[in-house]
Amino acid sequence: MSQKHRETANVGAGLWKGAGMWAWLFHRVSGVALALYLFAHIWVISRGAATGAEGFNTMFETLESPLFIVLDLFLLAAVVYHALNGIRVLLFDLGVAIRRQKTLFWAVIAASVVIMAVFAYISLSFIASHGA
Amino acid sequence: MRQGVIEESAGGMWLWLLQRVTAVVLILGLGVHIVVTHVLNLGELSYENVAGRLAMPFFVVVDFALLGAGIFHALNGLRMVLLDYGFSGRSKTMLSWGLFAFGVAAFGYGTWALWPWLTA
Repeated sequence: MSQKHRETANVGAGLWKGAGMWAWLFHRVSGVALALYLFAHIWVISRGAATGAEGFNTMFETLESPLFIVLDLFLLAAVVYHALNGIRVLLFDLGVAIRRQKTLFWAVIAASVVIMAVFAYISLSFIASHGA
Repeated sequence: MRQGVIEESAGGMWLWLLQRVTAVVLILGLGVHIVVTHVLNLGELSYENVAGRLAMPFFVVVDFALLGAGIFHALNGLRMVLLDYGFSGRSKTMLSWGLFAFGVAAFGYGTWALWPWLTA
């Protein structure tokens, strides 16, 4: 690949090396996980129509248990990373900051860690105050 | 917009563009959804809690935007992943239409799921 093409190529896709590769791989893995989750989520919400208010509320008692709140944190980590790296990809598509893609990847990771720390604090406080 | 990116996309120009448009819708919509539903209403989730939100037109719009944009973005994303593993010609066409049919069905099912709250 010529130097010119390498600089303007869709960063990460096909460049099997370094930060760009990891950004692409995490985006793909989190994307597949979120796609599968979406359809599970639609099914869960449909229990309202299928079983009525009582069945729905019984289900949500389980979904607000510590186990599911911790699982929610993993889900949220996938959402946050995919969203922030998605913004990084959108910038590249607009021709912005392509040469700084590695710096942006680390900015995405840093922002994800900060956001997840806030949500972990909120979630663990909730679990603690509701007696696990 | 860099023309090369659009022309080189295996998934087609319009699907590429729609993937970006739905990405923006999802970032904004999920921001609202996560903060309002899962932070401001933490520990309050119930059938009645959902009913209270869906009594407001704003949240009906947000939920249908998330349903539509989410289904499109998820299935088109899965399609882009699968296209990296050898679909072409007839199998590519069948994959695309299969995912399209699944998406339409999922949107219908999601609408049915929200119906009791919308008509309450």
